[in-house]
Order: sequence, then structure tokens, then C-alpha cells
Amino acid sequence: MSEKRKWTLRMVGIGSFLALWEVMGRLMGDALFAPISSMVAVYPSLIEENNMLVELAKSLQHLIYGYALGCVVGITMGIAMGRSKIFEGLLQPWVSMLFATSIASLVPLFMILFGFGLAFRVAIVFMSAVWYVLLNTFHGAKGINPELIQTGRAFDARPAQIFFLILLPGLYPYILVGMRNGLAHSIRAMVIAEMYVIVGFGSVVFNTGLEVSTAPLLGALVTIMFVGIAGLESLRWIGRKTAPWYEAEKGHP
Amino acid sequence: MKRITVNNPHLLYPISIFGGLAVWEIIARSLPRTLLAPPTAVGLRLWEMIGDGSIPVALASSLQHMLAGYLLAVLVAVPLGIALGRSPSLSVALDPVLNAIYAIPSVAFIPFLIVWFGLYFEGRVALVFLMCFFEILMNVQQGVRDIDRGLLDAGHSLQARGLTFFWLVLLPASLPFIFTGLRVGIGRAVNAMITAELFFAAVNLGKLMKVSGNAFDTASLFAVIFVVSVLGLIGQETVGWLDRRLLTWHHRDIA
Repeated sequence: MSEKRKWTLRMVGIGSFLALWEVMGRLMGDALFAPISSMVAVYPSLIEENNMLVELAKSLQHLIYGYALGCVVGITMGIAMGRSKIFEGLLQPWVSMLFATSIASLVPLFMILFGFGLAFRVAIVFMSAVWYVLLNTFHGAKGINPELIQTGRAFDARPAQIFFLILLPGLYPYILVGMRNGLAHSIRAMVIAEMYVIVGFGSVVFNTGLEVSTAPLLGALVTIMFVGIAGLESLRWIGRKTAPWYEAEKGHP
Repeated sequence: MKRITVNNPHLLYPISIFGGLAVWEIIARSLPRTLLAPPTAVGLRLWEMIGDGSIPVALASSLQHMLAGYLLAVLVAVPLGIALGRSPSLSVALDPVLNAIYAIPSVAFIPFLIVWFGLYFEGRVALVFLMCFFEILMNVQQGVRDIDRGLLDAGHSLQARGLTFFWLVLLPASLPFIFTGLRVGIGRAVNAMITAELFFAAVNLGKLMKVSGNAFDTASLFAVIFVVSVLGLIGQETVGWLDRRLLTWHHRDIA
């Protein structure tokens, strides 16, 4: 399929979706499902009256703390588990159990442990991101071709050189896939936590959800959609720029 | 004789589990009781809650909306996934829209679902459906797109057309990917089940969590979290087991 045809098809897809939204919205009315025109009309008031962008900025700041912590811990533990059988054996049972734990079910517990503020949101985001980063790094580290490391040793590379020049470049694609999955889950977790305690961007979703018209709620949903897409696309862009060999991406689903 | 080495998982896993529990026990005992319950208290509480019927009764009704939403999602997402995987034009046209909707956290749709389906059973089913639907769709679509062309060409050259082609070539070739979608989907269904019970009217396991949370009863909270996690693991294992039992030809080939 030619690039031109692809773009035409995409435009047709997006165009018909937007048209369908408008028609459905007019048939159902603002109370049930607002058309895109109503959403666009109320969008400025969402920013002025609901302080949406201010709340969103605060939420994203907390998200970045938790996410960064999750990446650092996930990468460190993932490499340790991938390169040492002892770490693997000691951590595997807990990692599998915690990976299977639903974030929503942790929210009431974390409220008791961490309160309602910064620590609570950071902890929830951390728990949602860390296992994806960890498992991807772990699979990458476990699958590193031993011949590469032996070659390094044969050329008298020091352990630090082996780590930074062989291990990390090999792991990089796995880490990036883990970070992408982790980010997608972080955003979900942030919204879960914030809607439960009604703070930050979650409070915007909650409060607009109580209004008679669904137009402001749709505005909030479209905003978080763009935030998610922008975050994931910039990670993908960083991956392509910093590591051209990244294209051969593999990862743990 | 088999030598036992330090990195033997049979030796390390029990050490890991009991060591972790011991650390938790020590930390919990040094903290105020309302903050973090020790594992011994959690185990005891879990035993009590199973014994007095509160967990089994809640679980039985939780499973109803979970399974209803999951099955609905499977019925819609699998055929749609096969169609999108088979038709490049359709998937190019719909992918941007589907990816955009998928990028919105499902919980953010809850105010909508409440308006459309109410606070009770129908609302919970709708959330489970929504959370499973995209996960299954994406997996099936991706898999069907990657089906070995040789297999499809062989079917065509043997004059398989229409329904025959679908039942004898396309469906069997798609089944491994459908099962991957089903396995990922059931994990999401368990998440969605507990999310729905916490965010719509609190019922069943979600109600147990809310009541215990308000009473600072962390032992009961851990007990429910444990039950939900185990349910997720059992769900995924069951689908994996069905996959291995039903698709013996596929697993023989890749073994």
C-alpha cells in the first residue's frame, strides 16, 4: 500500500469518526453524549473555571516522580535479576505476585499507608510502572548473547566497560519498551488514584462527570488522550534518536 | 546424585517467600497496628473471612459481572480483531481512532458509564467490557496480521474459499493469537471487576475493601487484595491450560 493511500485512508477513518461523533451527539443530546461541537465550545471554560491545565500540571509532576523512581528501581532490579541466578530466585516469587496485583485494589490500602498527598500518588504510580520496566529489563539482560560478553573479556574489558559498552546498549531496546508500557500504565494508575480521592486531574474528571452536560467531561477525556499519546510518542522518538538499532524492538508484552 | 547449588530455584523460592514474609512481619510489628498488618494477622483474617463466608459470597457475585463483561468483550473483539487483521485498508483507516480511544484511561469513562448504565450491575459489566475489549482486540489484530502467509497461500491454492477457508485455514491459524488475547483479557477483567466495585456503588469485594479501609483494618485489606491477585493468576493459568489442551498442534510445532 502506498504512503499516499495510507494517509487518505487514515484521514477517511478519522474524518468519519468525528462526523459520527457529531451526528450521534446531536441525536443523543448534551446530557447523554455531547457532540464534538459542544465540546469545543466549552473547552475554554474547562481551562478557566475548572483550572484543568493547572491541575493537570500538578498531576503530571507527581506522575513523573513516581515514574522516574519506578524506572530506576525497575532497571536496577531487572539487571540484577537477569545477570544473577541468586537475585532471580530470591525476587521472582514476589515480582510475579506484585505484577499480578491490580492497582485499583491497592488504592484503599495505600491511602492508609501514605495519606492523600504526594507520597500516595507517587507510590501508586511507582507500583504501576516498576514491574513493566523490571520484567522487560530482566528478559533483555537474561537474553544477552554470552558470546558478546566473552568477546569483551577476551579483549580485556574491565567489568565497568562490559557493563556500559556491551550490556547497556544491548538492553536499551528492552528498557525502552518497558518504559513505554510503564508510562501507559502510570497514566492509567494516576487517573485511578486521583479519581478515588478526588484530587488533581482526577478531580477534574470527577467534577465534570457530575455536570448536566457531558461536553466538559469529553473535553477532559480528549485532553488526557493527547497527554498519553504525546508521552508515548516522545519516548518512541527518543528511542529512535538515541539508538538507531532500536528499530529491532522486542519486548515482554 | 544431583548436586544442590546455591542458585537452585527450588531452594531459593521458599527462602524468598519465607524471608520476605519474615521481613514484612518484623517491619509490621514495629509500626502501629492500624498502619500495616503483619502477614500472620493477614493469614488469620483471610482464614476467618473465608470461614464466615464473607469472601466466598462476595467473590461469587463479583464473578458474575466479571464473566458477563469478559464474554461480551470476547464476542465483539475477536471477530473485529480478525477482520482488522485480515484487511490492511480497514486497519489503516481505523487504527488511529482505536489507538486514540485506547490511550484514554478506562476509569475516566466511568462518569459516562454511570450516565448510560447506572451504578449497579449493568454499569460494572460495561466497565469490564470496556477494559477487556481493547486489550483483546489489539492482541488478535496483531496476531492475525502476522499469520504465516504460506499457510494462507496453501489454503488458496487448494481452492479453499469463503466459509471453508475461514473454518479450515484462517480460524485455526488465528487461534493461538486469540488465546493470547483471551489470557491478557482475563487479567484485565479481574482488574476491571475490582475497579468497578470501588468506583460504582460499592458492592461485594469492593465493599469489603471500603469498609475495612474506613476502619483502618489493613489485615482485611491485604486479605482481599490477595484474593483478587490469586483470582487473576488462576484466570490466566486457566486460559493458558485451555490453550495447551486445545491447541496441541500449535504447541507441538513450537516445542
